[in-house]
Amino acid sequence: MTDTQQQVDLVVRTIAQTAVDNETYFGDLDSVVGDGDFGYSLARGFEKVIEGWDGIDRANPGTFLKKVGMIVSSRIGGTSGPIWGTAFMKAGITAGTAQMLTGEDVVAMLRAATDGIKMRGQSDVGDKTLLDALIPMTDRIESELRSGTDPSGVLAAAAVAAREAAEATTDMVAKRGRASYTGERSRGSVDAGAMAVAVIVEHVNQAWPTEGVS
Amino acid sequence: MKKFVNDPKQFVPEMLEGIALANPGTLTYVPEYNLIMRSDAPRADKVSIVQGSGSGHEPAHVMVVGKGMLDAACPGDVFAAPPMDYVYETTKRLASDKGVLLLVNNYTGDRMAFDMGKEMAESEGIKVEILTINDDVAVKDSTYTIGRRGVAGNFFVIKAVGAAAEQGADLDECIRIGRKVNDVTRTMGVALTACTPPAKGSPLFELGADEIEMGVGIHGEPGRERKKLVEADAIVDEVLDAVVTDLPYRSGDNVALMINGLGGTPISELYILYRHAHQRLAEQGITVKRSYVGEYCTSLDMAGASITLVKLDDEIEALLAASAEVAIRVF
Repeated sequence: MTDTQQQVDLVVRTIAQTAVDNETYFGDLDSVVGDGDFGYSLARGFEKVIEGWDGIDRANPGTFLKKVGMIVSSRIGGTSGPIWGTAFMKAGITAGTAQMLTGEDVVAMLRAATDGIKMRGQSDVGDKTLLDALIPMTDRIESELRSGTDPSGVLAAAAVAAREAAEATTDMVAKRGRASYTGERSRGSVDAGAMAVAVIVEHVNQAWPTEGVS
Repeated sequence: MKKFVNDPKQFVPEMLEGIALANPGTLTYVPEYNLIMRSDAPRADKVSIVQGSGSGHEPAHVMVVGKGMLDAACPGDVFAAPPMDYVYETTKRLASDKGVLLLVNNYTGDRMAFDMGKEMAESEGIKVEILTINDDVAVKDSTYTIGRRGVAGNFFVIKAVGAAAEQGADLDECIRIGRKVNDVTRTMGVALTACTPPAKGSPLFELGADEIEMGVGIHGEPGRERKKLVEADAIVDEVLDAVVTDLPYRSGDNVALMINGLGGTPISELYILYRHAHQRLAEQGITVKRSYVGEYCTSLDMAGASITLVKLDDEIEALLAASAEVAIRVF
């Protein structure tokens, strides 16, 4: 397994485990204005990723991510499956057949993932969705990479940016998803999807080895 | 609920297994993806035509797989879109040098699954396009859609595109024909009773003994309005007028007329509806040149029917008249 694949494994495994471990928390966040099934849906989908972990095709990181995206989108009910699955799928398609991925590649993959979510969900920044954490996080990763920060430092900054951005969704009115049915009432609570992104990135940051991997 | 059912969760797989067993040599069944395909597909010199949607609409779409119709169908569970990996795996297996055309009824879940399956297949170099069907005039948006729903009119798109593909049309030509047929096809349905999904075990909605749902969807979604049951001719008048005025179909037009049973209505009643629809069209100067009476796109055991009109020109008429073979009729 290449270093890149090991890193991708670590990131995806941490995302999946975090989704499973936080089923109740994410569900509670969603039940404020949504229908409360977000935590459950996400956990069931990523459980399938963990169950089939060793058998997922690792011909290259791109293929691996596409396969993860297929599992997630097929096994999570409602719109969360296609939305989250699209993110992995688009990242995988962008990675192509490359065995090694650079920081620039990762930014391009994250951009493809967020563009995919926008397209699939007919949503954009400010609609009070996971995009409101993902896009500020990606912007931060890009700027940190430009100024020469090392991978651990980039991740630490990404975690901070995602958390701040997720907290900021409190002031937004939901325009997409079930929460949008409540209109103004959705103001005053964080978006469950955005907060899930923040919690996940924090866990990835914690799981990332502080040295020895570049 | 009285149904022929074993384990309700196995309703779709057991149906598909039955279809496969009844058609050895002509149909191939891939249980992992609910996939029913022509045994001679894919062919390098032919566009592969694929339709997938929820189950519960039989004979649509698994039973119209055959020569001159579909090359494959990959249904989801009852009234549920197929998961995207079904679409992707089906597209991969049907990949042809001439391309794959995915026919998709306009429902949010179906469109997401098919868009994703298409994008995945494309990333592996497979030539594939999507054609969306939205013939229902009853409502602008529904519980499951943005925009009009795809209902029984999908039969005509499948028939025309299937015939064109069989005659060697390329992917662009198949799309042109499919769009053209969809653009001149309009449908509206009416329910006399609700349907009962096997896994639910009870009717999907409540409809009083003397009530009908005008403009009902094929998943039991609400239509235009709930009314008192009236005599058959009056129901035809209302449904047909909604269809005719929508395109609109005009005096001098030639049309195909379909009276489609929704699953629980006997064919005899469908011909009673046909009789009046045919006469009423004739009074308006609209000539029925092709007639379709029977079950084409059902809603499980729902009693009711839908009326579809297709405006014909020489091209569409010839494609509808072209020979086709499907698994569901044995003489």
